[in-house]
Amino acid sequence: MTAPLLEVSDVVRTYAMGGLLARHRTRAVDGVSFHLDADRPEILAVVGESGSGKTTLARMILNTVTPTAGIIRFQGTDLSRIRRARDRRAFMTHVQPIFQNPFEAFNPLKPVDRYLFVTAQRMAGLKAAEEIRQRADDSLKTVGLSLAEVKGRFPHELSGGQLQRVAIARALIPTPRLLVADEPVSMIDASLRTSIVNLLRRLRDEMGVSIIYITHDLATAYYISDRILIMHRGRVVESGNARAVLDNPQHAYSILLKRSVLSPDAAASGGAVLAAATSRYDQP
Amino acid sequence: MPGYAAYLLSRLGQFVLVVFIGMNISFIVTHSTPIDPVEQTIAAATQYGSTNPEAIALMRQSLRELYGLEGGLGAQYVAFWRRIAVGDFGPSLSAFPTPVAVLVGRAIPWTVGLLVVSTVLTWILGNALGGLAGYYRKNRVLRFAGILAMAFHPIPYYIVAFILLITFGYLWPVLPISGGYMMNMERGFNLGFIMSLLEHSILPILSLVLVGLGGWFMGMRSLVSNVVTEDYVTYAELGGVSRRRILVSYVMRNALVPQVTGLAMSLGAIFNGAIITEQVFGYPGIGTLLVSAVHAGDYSLVLGITSVSIVAVSAAVLMIDLLYPLLDPRVRAR
Repeated sequence: MTAPLLEVSDVVRTYAMGGLLARHRTRAVDGVSFHLDADRPEILAVVGESGSGKTTLARMILNTVTPTAGIIRFQGTDLSRIRRARDRRAFMTHVQPIFQNPFEAFNPLKPVDRYLFVTAQRMAGLKAAEEIRQRADDSLKTVGLSLAEVKGRFPHELSGGQLQRVAIARALIPTPRLLVADEPVSMIDASLRTSIVNLLRRLRDEMGVSIIYITHDLATAYYISDRILIMHRGRVVESGNARAVLDNPQHAYSILLKRSVLSPDAAASGGAVLAAATSRYDQP
Repeated sequence: MPGYAAYLLSRLGQFVLVVFIGMNISFIVTHSTPIDPVEQTIAAATQYGSTNPEAIALMRQSLRELYGLEGGLGAQYVAFWRRIAVGDFGPSLSAFPTPVAVLVGRAIPWTVGLLVVSTVLTWILGNALGGLAGYYRKNRVLRFAGILAMAFHPIPYYIVAFILLITFGYLWPVLPISGGYMMNMERGFNLGFIMSLLEHSILPILSLVLVGLGGWFMGMRSLVSNVVTEDYVTYAELGGVSRRRILVSYVMRNALVPQVTGLAMSLGAIFNGAIITEQVFGYPGIGTLLVSAVHAGDYSLVLGITSVSIVAVSAAVLMIDLLYPLLDPRVRAR
């Protein structure tokens, strides 16, 4: 049996909060476990409100934050062993991030095509200038752009949707196995969201990339994900097949989450449904 | 690139406009003060004993000519601009008949030397320390440096200056406390003179650096801590880019952009002189000159100094505006 693509076991991350006197520790992520199979690419949605620990979880998977306890293995390798620059780069060829705010994802003082070229050079290990250019162009074509459109452009000269697609193109250059997308569409115009979300789905189907899709938006999670993890205060309160979980949520928080999605009916009756759901949830 | 040419033209236009407005204001202010330099000179000249009225009238006539005060306001205005165009601000009143241009020219090297060194030094130190402190938040040494810089920042400048004077002039008298160089020393390009020059500049520079450091430090630290959380920095960290490289070419480079504007503004302001510094340390610069000019009601000298600083500040802003597109592509696009 081959090692799973990603194995997260009993991961905890605590942060010290407060000043010198009233110091206490907050558990941002509290005993989370899940795994992704190596031979079956899937989209795993991690859903939860702000502060539920989803971004901390993402950062631990990307190896920028070290877990306080527990182990994360990528293709069998313990992430805490990856410390040297060369190992990090090797890890990055398999796991690539996509960030929430496309305007922050690129250095404003550098043209974006340089990012693509450097990624092709450093992470995909390409040498010849023509090959590098070709790879960047191919990758941009996958996301519906082309090198001609972004060549020499600075981040401020592109729209948010374009930038996010360039960010995805950059992530695809080293042909990764896993994308960690932290709220990739929350800063993007609603009309463009679907195209990005569809793009993620196409990456799974056509390129065999597994995606951890972090969001607070149940609608897109329902739309693209295979499995879902619902997080609340650092814990996974419910998980499983996305449709099954969302069609029939069990945990009180999942029910609340689902109710908070405005259906046309709920929108008509204002916040009443939300208020009712909240009050029910608050009483144990 | 045609975009840059248009940018250049509009900035040049702004420069001319700002200088024009500034000069007009200084014309209006000087011409609406109740101090009449001509009457003051006459009063001073006739203080001891009487002079016959015809001589006084003649004197008044030639003084008005010297100061460009003949005719009505319109004629004076035209004369004012004609004088500025050729850089002639007339004779100084307090050092009659030395021309204003000579006095200002004599004082400028002192002020510019003192302030360029201290401003640049403060800027480099403050930004380097602030940048490091923003990036390595947990480093104890840097934290302590931050506390120290901030402790000095709110102390009024003259108090810091006096503490330095008392400490190094009286309690532990190792440094000269006044003047630009040792008195009676022959000015010239030799080791003794240069050493004396440096020795005399230590205290004024130190006082300016101590007080100015905190501002740059705090500014840079908060700029850096904003940049550090941006995703492109996270991405660079993920990719195994060395921390040193991230600090220099990602974090500092981005955070420095607004600081460069600040530097240019303070370099431009140098031509106003550091009035208090020069007073406290008896430094022979523009600030000292300006204060004595104001005390003496030396109207043409005040006007000369103001005009020089109006042009200098606007020129500094213009220069930084022209250089900015090289630093920040976001400005280039407009």
